[in-house]
Amino acid sequence: MIRKIMTILVLIALIAGTATATGTSESDSQSTDVVFRWATTTDPQTMDPHAVNAAPVLSFLNNIYEGLVRRNEQMDIEPSLATSWEPLSDGDGWRFFLREGVTFHNGDAFTADDVLFSYERGTSETSDVTSWFAPVTDVVVVDDFTVDILTSAPNPLFPDSIANWMIMSRSWAEENASTAPATDQENFATRNANGTGPFVLSSRSPGVETRLVPNTAWWDDLEHNLSEAIYTPIENQSTALSALLSGEIDLVNPVPLQDVDRVEAAPGFTVLGGLETRVIMLGFGHEKEQLDYSTDVTGVNPFQDVRVRQAVYQAINVDDIINVVMRGQAEPASQLLPAGLSGYSIVNDDRLPYDPVASRRLLTEAGYPNGFSFGLMCPNDRYLNDEAVCRAVTSMLADVGLQAELTTHPVRNYWGELREDAYDMYLLGWSPGTFDAEHPIRFLVSTPNEEARLGSWNYGGYSNARVDELLPEIQSELDPATRQAQIDEIAAIIQDDVVYVPMYTQPLIWAMADSVDLVQRPDNFFMLRWVNVN
Amino acid sequence: MKPGSRAKRNDGEFAYLFLRSPAAIVASVLVVLTVGGALLAPWIARSDPFDPGTYDLTDAFTPPVWSPEGESRFVLGTDDQGRDLLASILYGARLSLRIALSAMGLAAVVGVSIGLIAGYYGGWFDAVVMRIADVQLSLPAILTALLVDGISLTIISESASTEFRATVITVAIALSLWVNFARTTRAAVFVERNKEYVQASVMMGERPRRILGIQILPNVLAPLLVIMTVDLGRAILLEATLSFLGVGLPPNQPSLGTLIRIGMNYVFSGEWWILWIPATFLVTMVISVNLFGDFLRDYFNPRLR
Repeated sequence: MIRKIMTILVLIALIAGTATATGTSESDSQSTDVVFRWATTTDPQTMDPHAVNAAPVLSFLNNIYEGLVRRNEQMDIEPSLATSWEPLSDGDGWRFFLREGVTFHNGDAFTADDVLFSYERGTSETSDVTSWFAPVTDVVVVDDFTVDILTSAPNPLFPDSIANWMIMSRSWAEENASTAPATDQENFATRNANGTGPFVLSSRSPGVETRLVPNTAWWDDLEHNLSEAIYTPIENQSTALSALLSGEIDLVNPVPLQDVDRVEAAPGFTVLGGLETRVIMLGFGHEKEQLDYSTDVTGVNPFQDVRVRQAVYQAINVDDIINVVMRGQAEPASQLLPAGLSGYSIVNDDRLPYDPVASRRLLTEAGYPNGFSFGLMCPNDRYLNDEAVCRAVTSMLADVGLQAELTTHPVRNYWGELREDAYDMYLLGWSPGTFDAEHPIRFLVSTPNEEARLGSWNYGGYSNARVDELLPEIQSELDPATRQAQIDEIAAIIQDDVVYVPMYTQPLIWAMADSVDLVQRPDNFFMLRWVNVN
Repeated sequence: MKPGSRAKRNDGEFAYLFLRSPAAIVASVLVVLTVGGALLAPWIARSDPFDPGTYDLTDAFTPPVWSPEGESRFVLGTDDQGRDLLASILYGARLSLRIALSAMGLAAVVGVSIGLIAGYYGGWFDAVVMRIADVQLSLPAILTALLVDGISLTIISESASTEFRATVITVAIALSLWVNFARTTRAAVFVERNKEYVQASVMMGERPRRILGIQILPNVLAPLLVIMTVDLGRAILLEATLSFLGVGLPPNQPSLGTLIRIGMNYVFSGEWWILWIPATFLVTMVISVNLFGDFLRDYFNPRLR
């Protein structure tokens, strides 16, 4: 008897539940809520715009925070929090006139003091973005809406170089004890955000889901029609693709290269592709006195010998990697930035040929006729097919006797391991934030110098006096021909010295439902402000 | 039944029962094929998939030999790096088996010792250890293994060698398997310790270590043998799961689980063999080991016959 009653009660509860559920879903469909869901492989590690200088973080945060300038659909610089700017008449530097009436998401008004604060924060000890401010000597608040940025020499490209320098509210950071970026631990700004941008962070569970809602008080005209945007990191690309095909998400970036045909064949989906401005390269531990992961070489670091580095270069068949691993959808790269970007050195356009015989000869000349073993470190969820590329590289190097012991890490550990020098050779991808040849030179080639904020991603510690001498000249040179000549000289040094082994420019492949309309930028930044769901 | 009578049952009966059980015959043939293939990998396989110098990227994605584009060099096709899939599977199974066997061995040594002591002495040791075992039983084995794996890789740098990772996985799996051994041994010891021959030994002043090792242990071996076969299957699966989740063995030394993980990337793109062939091999191996374990259990336990 009691059991019967219980059963009936449960049934009633169930029916009532279904009824309520149907009720809500009906009201949902009647309202004009436009929810956009997208997935990428890599969760942005932090919501702090100054803590990690990596594209997944900067791309995501560009929807929440804003800089003084921003890039438009054609990648050109246009006004954002600054309405205009001009070179200083007395001395070197730039004067920025700020937009009035802008508020942060928490209601604080935006003023020049926040710019100064963001400079201080971006150059503090725990900041990962200090290299952006390498030419800057001081920031001076002229009045509430005018700010002077002083540089050590004339710097014609400075406004182009700060599109990712995001402005944070001083009062908000101070109230929440987040005046400096947190890299090893967390602080309030790691999980919370307060920008001026088109979207507001409404909830954040790292590695699980991040939700954004439009900023109703945004200063610019709305070009999107979203009422909510939900981001989910999906590490496994096949899983992400299933989610797209089943309608769980509206966009996935990237699509596994091997699955492009399948997505294009499926009705209702579009693949949006091109080349990303990112060059994938191998780096060496130049600075090391000896290899850390070798079983047969002790006391010396063979990679300090340029012949060994060139042997590595010529042992790798980049065409095979592109054809097989990248399914023909990448371009060989000869420099640290892709062809076509400003400052690309056309005279140094040719790669060294793939030539295992020459490679063996070079190794013999260097005193390693039978090669040697070393450690190769790679990320496994950062670049397209990064792990497969590294395994292919391992196999090709083994053909000339170079035994690479491969370790792979998810990106959340990878940068840390790079900083700890846990490699003899490593994989890196670089997209120049300024779209100019000066950017990789400043970050990847100039001698690491914390004081001067140079070489902050030059983990191998390569150092060349001529490069260090030319870099400031490139930064201040006004005549394009002279500047190009200087860049060409450095490009030649990088090639002759085999500072890195540039391999290919990686493709950019997004897949989305046909109902989505958006703009794909070649830097692979995903800007919600251009997304429309029909 | 007299103590020791099960173990002393004659071989003729085993053969008779074995030949009357088709499942046991099929299972043991498959066990011999898969396990034997794995053990003899260096002599059967045409190339060594662990040596990156022996394969060529341009051979990648060759389908198995029975497909139109198949090549006779690669009977089961190649993976995304141009490795011969048959060789990868055999070497991978070898690695998986090595880890599973040593994990099972470790679990057996730890579990049986704890079970013997707890069962014979009882008291606080018994209470404490068995409560730990209860707690552990309530956690899924994969969770325990993930926990151990994650913690040890955090404490000791993740860039540690393959050999070290194999050890960590072995310990992780052993830690999730010891409970069965401990509980079974303890239960069997409970039964045995009040029997006359044990009482007699105690009366004669035999040392406990000797009683446990020489008199009780041989008499509790039969159920342990069954657990070993069943747990071997579990250990293989656990290793495969860990490797599949990416916390196991690295991709340059693929175990079966790693091979399946790699194959997952090509599940949509038509290169089905990279996933399905290693997966089928794994399933076959585990099922046959388990079926054989079932037969052993039936044999040792006449009440189930």
